[in-house]
Amino acid sequence: MRGRALIAFIIVVTILALVPPFLNGYARSLLYITVLYVALAYAWNVISGYAGYLSFGQVTFFGLGAYTTAISVVRGHLPWWEGALLGGLISAALAVPLGYLMLRLRGAFFALGMLGLAQTLQVVANSWQLTGGGAGLFLPPGSNALPVYYWTLVIGLLTFAATLFIDRSAFGLRLQALREDEQVASTLGVHVTTTKVWAFVISAIVPGLLGGGYAWYLTYVEPVSAFATRFDLQAVAMTILGGIGTVWGPLIGGVLMSQVSEMLAAQYPQAYLMSFGGLVVVLLVFLPRGIAPAVSAALARRRARGAQGHQ
Amino acid sequence: MHAALIGQLTIDGLLVGGVYALSALGLNVIFGVMRIVNLAHGEFVIGAALLAAVLFERWHANLFVVLPLAFVLAFGLGALIQRAFLRRLPEDLASAETTSLLMTFGLSYFFVGAWLAFFSGNFRSVPYLTGAWTIGPFSIAQARLVAFVASGIIAVLLAMLLRYTALGRSIRATSQNLQGALACGVDVERVRTLSFALGTAIAAASGCLLILIFTVNPETGANVTLASFAVIALGGLGNYAGTLVGAAVIGLAVSFTGYFATAQVAQAAPYVLFILVLLVRPAGILGKSGA
Amino acid sequence: MSAPLLEIENVSRAFGGVRALDGVSLRVNQGEILCIIGPNGAGKTTLFNIISGVMRPSSGDVRFQGESIVRWPPQRIAAAGIARTYQIARPFVRLCVRDNVAVGALVRERTLERARCAAQEILESVGLAALADRPAGTLTLTQRKRLEVARALALRPKLLLLDEVMAGLTPTEIDAMGDFIEQLQERGIAAIGGVEHVMRVVMRISHRIVVLDFGKKIADGTPAEIAADPRVGEAYFGTSLDGAGASSPTKGQS
Repeated sequence: MRGRALIAFIIVVTILALVPPFLNGYARSLLYITVLYVALAYAWNVISGYAGYLSFGQVTFFGLGAYTTAISVVRGHLPWWEGALLGGLISAALAVPLGYLMLRLRGAFFALGMLGLAQTLQVVANSWQLTGGGAGLFLPPGSNALPVYYWTLVIGLLTFAATLFIDRSAFGLRLQALREDEQVASTLGVHVTTTKVWAFVISAIVPGLLGGGYAWYLTYVEPVSAFATRFDLQAVAMTILGGIGTVWGPLIGGVLMSQVSEMLAAQYPQAYLMSFGGLVVVLLVFLPRGIAPAVSAALARRRARGAQGHQ
Repeated sequence: MHAALIGQLTIDGLLVGGVYALSALGLNVIFGVMRIVNLAHGEFVIGAALLAAVLFERWHANLFVVLPLAFVLAFGLGALIQRAFLRRLPEDLASAETTSLLMTFGLSYFFVGAWLAFFSGNFRSVPYLTGAWTIGPFSIAQARLVAFVASGIIAVLLAMLLRYTALGRSIRATSQNLQGALACGVDVERVRTLSFALGTAIAAASGCLLILIFTVNPETGANVTLASFAVIALGGLGNYAGTLVGAAVIGLAVSFTGYFATAQVAQAAPYVLFILVLLVRPAGILGKSGA
Repeated sequence: MSAPLLEIENVSRAFGGVRALDGVSLRVNQGEILCIIGPNGAGKTTLFNIISGVMRPSSGDVRFQGESIVRWPPQRIAAAGIARTYQIARPFVRLCVRDNVAVGALVRERTLERARCAAQEILESVGLAALADRPAGTLTLTQRKRLEVARALALRPKLLLLDEVMAGLTPTEIDAMGDFIEQLQERGIAAIGGVEHVMRVVMRISHRIVVLDFGKKIADGTPAEIAADPRVGEAYFGTSLDGAGASSPTKGQS
């Protein structure tokens, strides 16, 4: 990013940072949800887009973060953000051994393995006393959404920065190489296991950190919504719409779809599932690479034409 | 623990296993020909189950009338999905696998939403054949036995179709060697459509039998997909005897955990087994597909 | 003469009941070009898989520069200086040609920028520079073969394993590839080429030839010795010595 892009970026971030205190609660929560979903899509994009390991269960870490925070606040009387931080740490710590185990599986085995993991944790949360069983845990009401918003914004920006780094670094190239062909990557000197476990950790720590904020924002956690695979459906749909495995894809898809997503999911769950599920299918047929590559191709054409014009 | 109890749970588990085996066979046919793991498989099972339940509630429709109906409907739906979407998967294998997983993942949620719209989110079951026969210390639930036997009959019919018909031969040829099948003049595109349709129809048939045993709602499809996939992972892809063994193991796991823990834990049991097996044999059956 | 670069000692590998390799021993010296000839299924690819660490032998040892590498993971072997190509070209299809090569260069270069720079130089040397920004998936078969070699060279190997590099090429391209392999020794790179047919080029470029048949080494010597060997002569030179290169252009691809 340089020149105009950098300036535009700074302006957008400044607006995102300065405006929310002046918004009403409704507008603020719209903004919060958008930033949250974009960040989750970015996190999913690392392991599934860049590394090519489709995970339909990254919500595992989101739920883990939510429960860690709720338990820390309710049972340990910690401030919520300490709980959220702890949730991120636990997610990262868990993602290392889990990554070594699960990333030995490929394709459908990994995808279903992660899906099943989320289901299993849901069962655990439902049956365990510590997590409040099916009723879940209630956090002190009247909490302020603003700190949660800033927490999410900072983590979202860090995730974006991580994606920029991945897209332009040796690490990212290794990741994409192993996505294409692990064996060839390894005979070209790529330490395949380490590389993909790192990607998995990045994709786990982000939802782990964000889940706590979400729990504090909702003022409760319960098993079904904390481990809802709809979060993964959402990340999948947004990332494919924007462009899977690209820097801007999750942002484009996330901004376009967050509000629809939130509104439909809450009010018309059937229509939500049908439209998001259907959208994934239709996009894969008609726009499999998403919006971002199409836009950058158009920009490149314009630039080329501009260059010709100057001659 | 009494020997009688163990025996009873074993019988229950094996009978359920028959239905799982049928569902897994459907998944297997599709994978064999198309190299696609259909993540929407459970939704077809559940859709048929709910259809059977609703028809039973309204008109007391006999399950064995509904089953062929669901079979035909699902066959058409499967063919349609293959022609409209899955046919357009990219050429190269690596991205075809990725795209097929994303696509069937999207399909699965589409159908969860559709079933929620059609059938509502209520849990349904079919109170049909609720009696039990007693043999010595064991009682055999009629519904389970009937579901088991019907699954067995359908599986045998499927095996005969694969073995003795022209379509079956094309399916087996395409599964074993795509290039070979192409060289022998097999219309691979047609075989793919028919196998996806057939796999979907088998899913629907197993759903009509599953509803005799379990209570389901539109959101339980993922568990069925996981259980069916676990059966395959345990038994071996394309290995029909293995499928039976895998299904028996999963059936037993569900039956025993259902008794000693909760029904919820029983739902997670196939998954836990699936992971344990894959950890022991990490390449899985699909180990080759990454190359 | 110094110690051999690569020593393979009594290596066997079985798949199920089939012995793909049966007690094969051979050595490659610094800068030497060794061709392994044998029909499809003779065990050439299995041998390459074992040397490059993709596969473990059932028994036997592989030593590179005196160190046993038989238990090393592939990336360590690659970094140590053994590069390989694949019989069927396996480019990273969605990455551009330059990045395909840069992956290997990262073993030596610290930053992505320098790796890409090194990749560009290599692409120029194999005549793919003009295609550097194209996705590798759009290359033709011949270009893919060259990309395989370019990627392997990016590791700056001491030993290059070329699995069926001649397969699928036209006679002119085969000669060009032969010239290329000959030039490797000027750069101090040893090579093992696995070749099914094309005896004409093999005879020209090889310092030594090893013949594999059903997983067993049946001959090992200079081209002249091999040509004189009655067992080999029958199998490989009986039909035609100079037209063999063009006899089967598509073999080994399926």
